[in-house]
Amino acid sequence: MRRRLPALQEDFQSYLLSLSGAMEQEIVSDTLDARMRLQIYADAYRLRLIEALETDFVALRAALGPEEFDRLGRAYIDANPSDHYSVRYFGRNLGRFLAQTDPYREQPVLADIARFEWAMTDAFDAPDANVATVADMAAVPPNDWPGLRFALHPSLQRIDLQWNASAIWHAADKDEALPAPEQAEYPVGWMIWRQGLQIYFRSLSVDQAWMLDALGDGQNFAEVCEGLTEWIDAQYVAGHAAGLLKQWVTDGLISGFIN
Amino acid sequence: MTVSLVYPPIGFGLGLRASHYEDILNGPRRIDWFEILSENYMVPGGKPLHYLDRIRAEYPLVMHGVSLSIGSTDPLNRDYLRDLKKLAERVQPAWISDHLCWTGVAGKNMHDLLPLPYDGETLDHVASRIQHVQEFLGRRILLENVSSYLTYKRSEMTEWDFLRELCNRADCLILLDVNNIYVSSVNHGFDPIEYLDGVPADRVQQFHLAGHRNLETHIIDTHDEPVVDPVWDLYADALKRFGPVSTMIERDDNIPAFAELADELDHARHIAVETLGSGTHSRRRVVPA
Repeated sequence: MRRRLPALQEDFQSYLLSLSGAMEQEIVSDTLDARMRLQIYADAYRLRLIEALETDFVALRAALGPEEFDRLGRAYIDANPSDHYSVRYFGRNLGRFLAQTDPYREQPVLADIARFEWAMTDAFDAPDANVATVADMAAVPPNDWPGLRFALHPSLQRIDLQWNASAIWHAADKDEALPAPEQAEYPVGWMIWRQGLQIYFRSLSVDQAWMLDALGDGQNFAEVCEGLTEWIDAQYVAGHAAGLLKQWVTDGLISGFIN
Repeated sequence: MTVSLVYPPIGFGLGLRASHYEDILNGPRRIDWFEILSENYMVPGGKPLHYLDRIRAEYPLVMHGVSLSIGSTDPLNRDYLRDLKKLAERVQPAWISDHLCWTGVAGKNMHDLLPLPYDGETLDHVASRIQHVQEFLGRRILLENVSSYLTYKRSEMTEWDFLRELCNRADCLILLDVNNIYVSSVNHGFDPIEYLDGVPADRVQQFHLAGHRNLETHIIDTHDEPVVDPVWDLYADALKRFGPVSTMIERDDNIPAFAELADELDHARHIAVETLGSGTHSRRRVVPA
């Protein structure tokens, strides 16, 4: 009995995903047998996705080496079949996969590298937005400052890393020998963003990371200053916060001031 | 009076690739139009859309997608169609194309152009989906013949018969990939000329040319090499049958310098002039020195 199209497609897809099932009997064997013909698709399926991962995770590949990266790619593909129409998003769960899956979770630097590289991917094509200037900042009337809120640029990615992922990425990007994995005593905050068409990243001190997150959560300037007293003496806190803001405005991280 | 089904031809194009952005914007104008991979620009912002807008300001573009999955038995992906339409509003493409294939079921995407069985059930299914898509986009779409590596036992007709019947039923157009015809003809042992003869001439809107890897037992469609001579020969046959159809070269991997691809495209122009005579095909603009 002939099978209907949905069943045929399910069988075909099962074959691609698990290399088993009833698909073989649906295929004509001639100059190449059915298994070989199906295998062409099964090979292409994995190779195409591994290539996508190679593009997005250059430093991770450098850290693992090509063979081990290939093995990781195949394990990830099997565990996380793509569910988005665009292959652009295929690698989005790789950091989590590395953090949760043996043997990779025993080397936590790998998950940090993946998360760092994915943050750059997300910053690369994040929405465009207006960028506030220092002149805009200076034009805010003094009385408006306490209640002032801040729109962050949509390309901003905030992550915390325990390992020297950025140094490893730097070396991989320049095709240099990678530094040994190095663990920080505490997780370090990082911001990754796009200014113009260029991607930037920078580490943050604890108070900077807290303030950036507070701005992102919609806290106003007075609330941010209050929170910063955890680290900064109250008499200096407004000046400190304004200084950081000015820096971030210059960096193109602030899209606007909201009264 | 005969009214043409197809959009007006736009000459000779290349696939738009990120490594060529600056050459395209700053170098001599050697290309009539570019084909974008729609999904590469279905992103929120940044560099891809920045360059897309700048290049669109200077060149006609056509949109070529890989994720429509017109043959899948999953429901049409509404998010995809919405994003595709949004991109089309931005790009105002000369036309929109995708492939005669399916890419996955059960919400999964294999990111491959998987072949369909050519039978009545598939015909009904695909024709009705094309009609939905064309209604949603407000325009006829082009479907491309894919390279394939297997034949289903349940297929009842040739690919070209299937394409012809599909065009009749769904009122869609054809992006005829000359390389894919060649690749599939070797992989399945059919006569590529018979394929060309079976395709309805009034539906062919665009040609694709590309390179492949010949593994002796079969050919893999890789788009990482120059177009080979047998494909150039088949291109000349296609021109004879279909006339001055808009032509482009696809290179997706091992991408050479822009000038090298422009030279390869000049070879296509040369074949067109030799086959059809001058003045019948090219819309290439001559920029005064």
